[in-house]
Amino acid sequence: MLLGTLVLANLKMIFRNRQALFWALFFPLIFVVVFGLFRLDEPPTTTIAIIDRSQDDLSRELVRSLSQIETFNVYEHPDEEKARDELREGTLRYLLILPEGLARSVAANSPVAVNFIYDEGTPTSAVVIGVVQRFLDKANMELVKVDPLLKLDARGVSARHLSYFDFLLPGFVGMGVMTYSVIGLASVMAVYREQKILKRILATPLRVRTFFAAVILAHLALSLAQAAIILAAGVFLFGGTIYGNYLYIALLVLLGNIIFLNLGFIVGTIAKNVNAASGLGNAVTVPMMFFSGVFFPTENLPRFLATVVTYLPLTPMLDAMRGVALDAMPLWEFPMELGLLGAWIVVTSVVAVRIFKFS
Amino acid sequence: MEEVIVVEALGKHFGAVTAVDGVSFSVRKGEVFGILGPNGAGKTTIMECIEGLLKPSAGRTLVLGMDTQREPDRVKERIGVQLQASAYFDYLTLKEILQLFGRFYGKYVSADELLTKVDLKEKANTTVGKLSGGQKQRFTIAATLVNAPEVVFLDEPTTGLDPQARRHLWEFIQSIHQEGRTVVLTTHYMEEAQFLCNRVAIMDRGKVVALDTPTNLIRALPAPYEIKALVDGKAHDGRLEALDCVVGVRHQEDGTFLLRSSDAARTLPALLGWASQAGVRLAHLEVVPANLEDVFLSLTGRALRE
Ligand SMILES: Nc1ncnc2c1ncn2[C@@H]1O[C@H](COP(=O)(O)OP(=O)(O)O)[C@@H](O)[C@H]1O
Ligand SMILES: [Mg+2]
Repeated sequence: MLLGTLVLANLKMIFRNRQALFWALFFPLIFVVVFGLFRLDEPPTTTIAIIDRSQDDLSRELVRSLSQIETFNVYEHPDEEKARDELREGTLRYLLILPEGLARSVAANSPVAVNFIYDEGTPTSAVVIGVVQRFLDKANMELVKVDPLLKLDARGVSARHLSYFDFLLPGFVGMGVMTYSVIGLASVMAVYREQKILKRILATPLRVRTFFAAVILAHLALSLAQAAIILAAGVFLFGGTIYGNYLYIALLVLLGNIIFLNLGFIVGTIAKNVNAASGLGNAVTVPMMFFSGVFFPTENLPRFLATVVTYLPLTPMLDAMRGVALDAMPLWEFPMELGLLGAWIVVTSVVAVRIFKFS
Repeated sequence: MEEVIVVEALGKHFGAVTAVDGVSFSVRKGEVFGILGPNGAGKTTIMECIEGLLKPSAGRTLVLGMDTQREPDRVKERIGVQLQASAYFDYLTLKEILQLFGRFYGKYVSADELLTKVDLKEKANTTVGKLSGGQKQRFTIAATLVNAPEVVFLDEPTTGLDPQARRHLWEFIQSIHQEGRTVVLTTHYMEEAQFLCNRVAIMDRGKVVALDTPTNLIRALPAPYEIKALVDGKAHDGRLEALDCVVGVRHQEDGTFLLRSSDAARTLPALLGWASQAGVRLAHLEVVPANLEDVFLSLTGRALRE
């Protein structure tokens, strides 16, 4: 079949164009590897040194229960002077000092000060102080044997253990597909026009729509392979997790990619030459890479910007893909996102067909 | 004589630019037809209108009896097109490209056969980017032959080639012609038109200013010959203008004089008679026929290549 032959020829060309293939595969894979290796999501453990001046039952009990807090690495420092020096030098960040005669004072019902000294330059210090404060509050209440009237029952909103890496993985799929389709196709179209390949095709009886159908089908197939490779690397090499249905993810990749391919056609038509095509392609993709939620949720953006980026094509694609991948939701739970993607497909298709030129 | 291509009152403008201005001509079956003219004359525009790549603003073009605008696909099925300064896919081999393009047509010639014909058999598995300029042009000619076309269009097939590669390519074009195909080519090299073409249309600023065989075009010049003579020693007087059929005389610093003649067969004996009478020895004598360059100059007042 002619279309099949043409798709195959296009795949051959895609595969042999090593430079473009690098952008298609290795670029997103680099992100997977970097974020996979430096698991930013695992909170670093906080080391707290303790000077226990009383060395009685109560103080030992406090130290024991404090060290049970998961993220704290607690140890008793043998020398107070030295500990204070280390704090000044920055090798130690937190120092908790339990005063002498702790059990005695508590038994006598007289309040005692527990000193907590920390390095102000540590960005997470507020969190650590909060945790220590809460720990002491709880200890207080147990000591005076009253039940708290108000209890905070804090639980993570997500039922599963979601990591930042799991959040990133669909983002990398979207980023990889978008970058390759917009910049890759724009460059290919610019070369075809510059070298009059499109015109040469027009000089044969081949239907122009058959030619473009083949180009699009080959790129859609490639985008699925891209997504599969990125997800496989994330899941098998770096322990990422996809909770939802892979079929929905594939569908979203295809829907999003139709938009990106249209954008590639448009950029490739507007650009005067290959360099301009890749420059303009970057101008389209880089802002989306940063603002459409590849690396962080768009809710974290300033309100106005968050509203604007909702309407960029990559945002609904990633939102729906994360809903599927992380919350195991079915695709039809995202009518808004699908509607936006559909609207983008219609608009970009119309524009691409309207402005297309052969030479 | 059967007319393979008919161009009738063809006009094409791009915005305010008139590229082709009311051109009519026809191409006969089996001839090599040349369109000669400087850059920007409108050669490519005419070719692309005939091939169905551009929509004419006025007039019509017929190929093998079919109107290009009405039946573009039937026309494309039977013609071969080489575009000016065009290329082919970077990442396919020569063989793959020919096979792919062959599939676009109802009938096609095998890639091996085409590559053998243009002497590129051993390059079958390389890409176009690795070919020399001459090889590249030969390949694009091979690609125009995938559908065994009856009419072949070549737009400046030898531009940018060195003289040797150009000669080589001329031979290929002649061999295509000898297979019985009609060839339409454009060029701004008068030697090329003179060497290859049975008939030449000379174009300037969107118009055909003359159309005939190269010989007839040159013969129609007021002075189709130039006689070059070097006088040994003694200076000569001004009676040369009076010699039979002489149209003009020019003297060069080295003592050579150039006589432009409307008929060398009559000027030459007159010149020899004058020489022996005046006791002048002609150290060097040469009759140079005019060429298409001179034709263009005499028709437009400008040189073909500025
Ligand atoms: N696509 C176009 N848009 C605008 N002007 C064009 C276009 N193609 C050709 N022209 C103009 O038409 C004239 C004829 O061009 P062309 O047919 O390419 O000449 P030639 O092939 O003899 O060099 C030139 O002045 C050229 O600038
Ligand atoms: Mg031209």
